[in-house]
Amino acid sequence: MVILGKADQVMFESLRVSVTDTVSPALDVLSRPLAALGHLMDRARDFVAVYQDNHRLAEENERLLNWQQAALKLASENARLRELLKLMPEPASTFITARVIANSGGAYVRSLMAYAGSENGVERGQAAVTGEGLVGRVSEVGSRAARVLLVTDLNSRVPVIVEGPQQRALLTGDNSERPCLRYLDARSEIKVGDRVVTSGQGGVFPPGLPVGVVASLDGEAPRVEPYVELSRVEYLRIVDYGLADGLPKPVPIASRSGRRAEPLAGGQLGRR
Amino acid sequence: MILKSAGTPARQRIDNPVARLLPIATTLLATVISIQPAHIPGYAALTPAFTLMAVYHWTIYRPDLLSPFALFLVGITQDLLAGVPPGVTALVLLLTRAVVLRHRRHFVNRPFPFVWTGFTMLSGVAMLFLWTFHCLLDGVLVDFRGTVFRAVLTISMFPIASFLLGRTQRTLMGAG
Repeated sequence: MVILGKADQVMFESLRVSVTDTVSPALDVLSRPLAALGHLMDRARDFVAVYQDNHRLAEENERLLNWQQAALKLASENARLRELLKLMPEPASTFITARVIANSGGAYVRSLMAYAGSENGVERGQAAVTGEGLVGRVSEVGSRAARVLLVTDLNSRVPVIVEGPQQRALLTGDNSERPCLRYLDARSEIKVGDRVVTSGQGGVFPPGLPVGVVASLDGEAPRVEPYVELSRVEYLRIVDYGLADGLPKPVPIASRSGRRAEPLAGGQLGRR
Repeated sequence: MILKSAGTPARQRIDNPVARLLPIATTLLATVISIQPAHIPGYAALTPAFTLMAVYHWTIYRPDLLSPFALFLVGITQDLLAGVPPGVTALVLLLTRAVVLRHRRHFVNRPFPFVWTGFTMLSGVAMLFLWTFHCLLDGVLVDFRGTVFRAVLTISMFPIASFLLGRTQRTLMGAG
């Protein structure tokens, strides 16, 4: 069964989707007490740290007001320059906010189950984000629930750019908390603290989505600390950038036999 | 699969249908708890194997009420919900049941440290098996540290799970 599941992903994907759809309302209800407990603990923690937080936020507010002025100036300058160049605006994106009702619970898969499915407009390949940055992409969609493959999963491949040196790379998960940067042109130019954003290559994610920062340069590949604390995500946004067609659908074994496998678009590999 | 082992005391007959469903219901509940998002940093990867604890407990005390077929369905459900290759957990749970059933006379009516030692050995082997299996399936050497931490967490949580399951068992089934 395990080998069959590995060989014919389509058959088991439909089974998985129907089981997920059936139990997702129950999982939604069952996950609420734990979420409530989590909120309670967060509130207790916030209460203890209220004075420190207040001081920190006042400083941050002052800093952000300066940034706001800079951003407003840049926005008006940007608008003027766009007008001069007659630049085509990027297509507008729409999003759905969904609650996380389950995770993969184990050391070998990094995924989340979101309580929104095709009934709500979720499609395979769409990006899952939070306010901080990229979480992953939708890998399976049922009518009521969808599975999101996290950027840290062993099968996740995201084309990215390291800002600063403007180096293109492939962010590859290995089930650890920090995914690696592979296929860098000049590794020596990368520094700890460099911002990593999606490059938009392959057409699955739009360019410029924040992913994380370079956290370490030791080992065989630089490691990236994602902006999003993936184990604490309670709500996520599933965004339709109008790019979901970039992800090929899995092909059943029967129709695959007798012809060569075609490469997947955009370096997006997936077993699910 | 043989249900009865030589040298173990006869089990009390249970007529209450709710009590008869208790082993499967708690094993299924353990499965649901395993995939609950706990919002604790790093927890998802190290989630203790709650289902393994329930299977170990019930195979020692009431193997007649935990049929292999029901266990297979629980395992498959967990695999499908967690997004892991279907059949992996089902195989581990069925092997656990077979091994414990073979040696249950060493654990029945013995002090808790015996039971815990048995679980420690079993979960160690189960985690090693899972790690090897996933390495082979994914074709890469998966970081072993996660498996070690998960095994330690599973073993340390077992007394709590065993206490809760034992309490529920006594309440609904009597001394059993």
